[in-house]
Amino acid sequence: MIITRREIIKAGLAAGTAMSIPSVLRAQTAPTAARTVRMVMGDLSVFDPVVTTASVTFNHCLAIYDTLFGADSKFMPQPQMVSKWNVSDDKKTYTFELRDGLGWHDGSPVTAADCVASIRRWGQVAPGGQLLMARARDISKKDDKTFTIALQEPLGILLDLLGFQGPFIMREKDANLSPTEQVTANIGSGPFKFNQALAKPGASFTYDRSDKYVPRNEPADGLAGGKVAKVDRVIWENIGNQQTALAALQAGEIDFVGTPPVDLFPVIESDPNLELQVLDKTGQDMFLRINCLQKPFDNVKARQALLHLVDQEAIMRAAFGDPKYFRSVTSMFGNETPASNDENTGWHKTGGDPEKARQLFKEAGYAGEKVVILDPTDWREADNASQILVAALQKIGINAELAPSDWGGLVARRANKGPVEDGGWSLFMSSEAEWIRGNVVTAVTLSMNGEKGWFGWPQNDEYETLRVKWADVETLEERKALARKMQRIWWDYVPEVLLGQYVTPIARRQTLTDLISMPELIPIWNMQKA
Amino acid sequence: MAAYILRRMVSTIAVMAMVGVFVFLLLRLAPGDPAAMIAGRLATAEMIAGIREKMGLNDPMPVQFIRWVRDMLGGDFGTSIFAGRPVLELISQRLEPTLSLSILTMILSVMVGVSFGILASWRTGGLVDRFLAAFSALGYSVPVFVIGYFLIYFFAIRTHWLPVQGYAPIDGGLGPWFVHLILPTVALGIGYIAFIARVTRASMLEVLSEDYMRTAAAKGASSYAILFHHALRNAGVPILTVIGISFAYLIGGVVLTETVFNIPGIGRLVVDAINNRDYPIIQSVLILTSGLYVLINLTVDLAYTLIDPRIRY
Repeated sequence: MIITRREIIKAGLAAGTAMSIPSVLRAQTAPTAARTVRMVMGDLSVFDPVVTTASVTFNHCLAIYDTLFGADSKFMPQPQMVSKWNVSDDKKTYTFELRDGLGWHDGSPVTAADCVASIRRWGQVAPGGQLLMARARDISKKDDKTFTIALQEPLGILLDLLGFQGPFIMREKDANLSPTEQVTANIGSGPFKFNQALAKPGASFTYDRSDKYVPRNEPADGLAGGKVAKVDRVIWENIGNQQTALAALQAGEIDFVGTPPVDLFPVIESDPNLELQVLDKTGQDMFLRINCLQKPFDNVKARQALLHLVDQEAIMRAAFGDPKYFRSVTSMFGNETPASNDENTGWHKTGGDPEKARQLFKEAGYAGEKVVILDPTDWREADNASQILVAALQKIGINAELAPSDWGGLVARRANKGPVEDGGWSLFMSSEAEWIRGNVVTAVTLSMNGEKGWFGWPQNDEYETLRVKWADVETLEERKALARKMQRIWWDYVPEVLLGQYVTPIARRQTLTDLISMPELIPIWNMQKA
Repeated sequence: MAAYILRRMVSTIAVMAMVGVFVFLLLRLAPGDPAAMIAGRLATAEMIAGIREKMGLNDPMPVQFIRWVRDMLGGDFGTSIFAGRPVLELISQRLEPTLSLSILTMILSVMVGVSFGILASWRTGGLVDRFLAAFSALGYSVPVFVIGYFLIYFFAIRTHWLPVQGYAPIDGGLGPWFVHLILPTVALGIGYIAFIARVTRASMLEVLSEDYMRTAAAKGASSYAILFHHALRNAGVPILTVIGISFAYLIGGVVLTETVFNIPGIGRLVVDAINNRDYPIIQSVLILTSGLYVLINLTVDLAYTLIDPRIRY
């Protein structure tokens, strides 16, 4: 058989066409680059908000699920899936009616039964949900669009609980799963649909605008108002290396980086195509958690010594560099929540007071016990701050040392309640979004219920009695008064030491605009790309 | 030959069994708790305990080990603790980028490295030889991430000729696939080019100094015939050995390159799994990698017989 040159060329063209068919098809079905936003949001590996407290999971859920209420930019709960609601005269029965047009991405309608199941599942795990379930007498549907929550006694913050840290509403069959079993269906009723076909775990996840979603008529305001998806597709790229993420942003391959590294801020600021923007204006409060069960910090004087020792300015500068992005904080409720106050904050002194700290350690009977600070080396800011702290402790004669590990090692070790000789710990650093601290009922770090509570296990019954009252007070003034009483006890007992408040700007290309400003969370509706 | 291959296969199983025990124990004894990682930074102890119980992490270690081995022998490599999907599915998704990068790097390294080595040995002390010496020093001493960021800066950010990061699957077209792999291949390949070139040069010089080479030259054989027909053939075994070793190292050593260029390959899968303490993924990848390593070595050993007819097993 003789093969001619013409046949070879034909075969080559045919092969080339065949190989390019998949990309041609993809090009025909994919939105244009101008209608697609690429974002670096973090490593999304758990999809169920009941299983984890990770903010990247909550961002995923904001995109695909909807909520009964949404907190506006002033943190006030506003109806979202709910069209109208009322409460009985005795304030014990709430009735909620769903608005028209709510539908799941699989085509079925959202019903009251879905809402009831979602509240019940959330109520088994989330602190706010547990409070609701403890007070609830009955949660049940009345008809397809209406459900009620009947309480044993009034719960003044019910709408707040449903509004900000409340349940994402899932299909009844998903919400009926055990809270320890992950929901992986990713079928919601929110403004974006999860594109399962394009999901590449560990690499990228794709969200497509839901054409059937009916947004509310009000303008977008925080997590409330109309959730209007103004781009066709959002792709979350998981770029683990921050240097690479920034290079991709500079080259225009991506539009948004959620947490650019502090040391690269000058590079971003000098690029006319890029912008740093603080979306989370209240930021995070960084704190030092103290193991109250073990020596030397089982003694209140030793804990008070830490309070006087810490120089917030030095620690924040080591951790975050530019003072534009941090400031000191003295209220256990943070700087800018409605409960923030200055009660019992006389301990704060610029530069700290090492002499006072030395004296307090002496009064505590400190006898050279080893102080172990868990140092997360893969969290650069806390690692730097830990170096400052250990030096300050050593300087006043404390036998302090760092226990370096990655964050995974730290979270395992912090559960150990034993002495440091048995693998326990004395101190570790963490941070918490300030808005969470505005509500002591849902902030697990602000409890003092002993070994049942959060790591460090402080115990003070008088404080806990006041904390229970928090859920019942109805006016802001009452809550503020209560907050002052609680803070007095808090800083006498010293279950933690505040290290400062910081905000982390996001980096974006100038072409990406109208991002919603909220603490910690990044909704993807409303944003536009030029 | 068949008996030799059988013996090697049996030893492979023994090696993989030892790797399995070692990996399992190492992961369980290392600090860290997948349940705590899933639950997040502000989770309560109660929430973490619930997840541990659900995942069977509270079972005694021997029970967990037997369960893992039993499932693996049945072809079930487990389910990712985080992603909740079968480990083999996750690995298969990541195999293409890693194999693409590894194979392209090997092709580049072998072609350029062997050519360099031959040229340098042909004109010892000449310009090519001195360039090779300098290039080798550079290739050995500059870390891959420095080369990577250097390439990104010039060829992606400054000129926009090539993409900074990411991977385009081959079924989306050969063009995008190749374009995304140029920078990572060059960054990763420089060290291997230097290594293969140095070994080729040394092997060739050793052979070229043999008496029979002088005889060939005296008989009037051309430089081409001396270099390629006589010298390269006899210098082939050590060159093939380093190529085999390089490829085996490459499979496990692309982690840094995948991180710098954000390629969703096996390397990044393992790094993320280690950070998250996702035991099933780490265990499975290490078992499969060790098996692949042993198989590559076996293939190289068998290839010796093709190059050198004197070698028989």
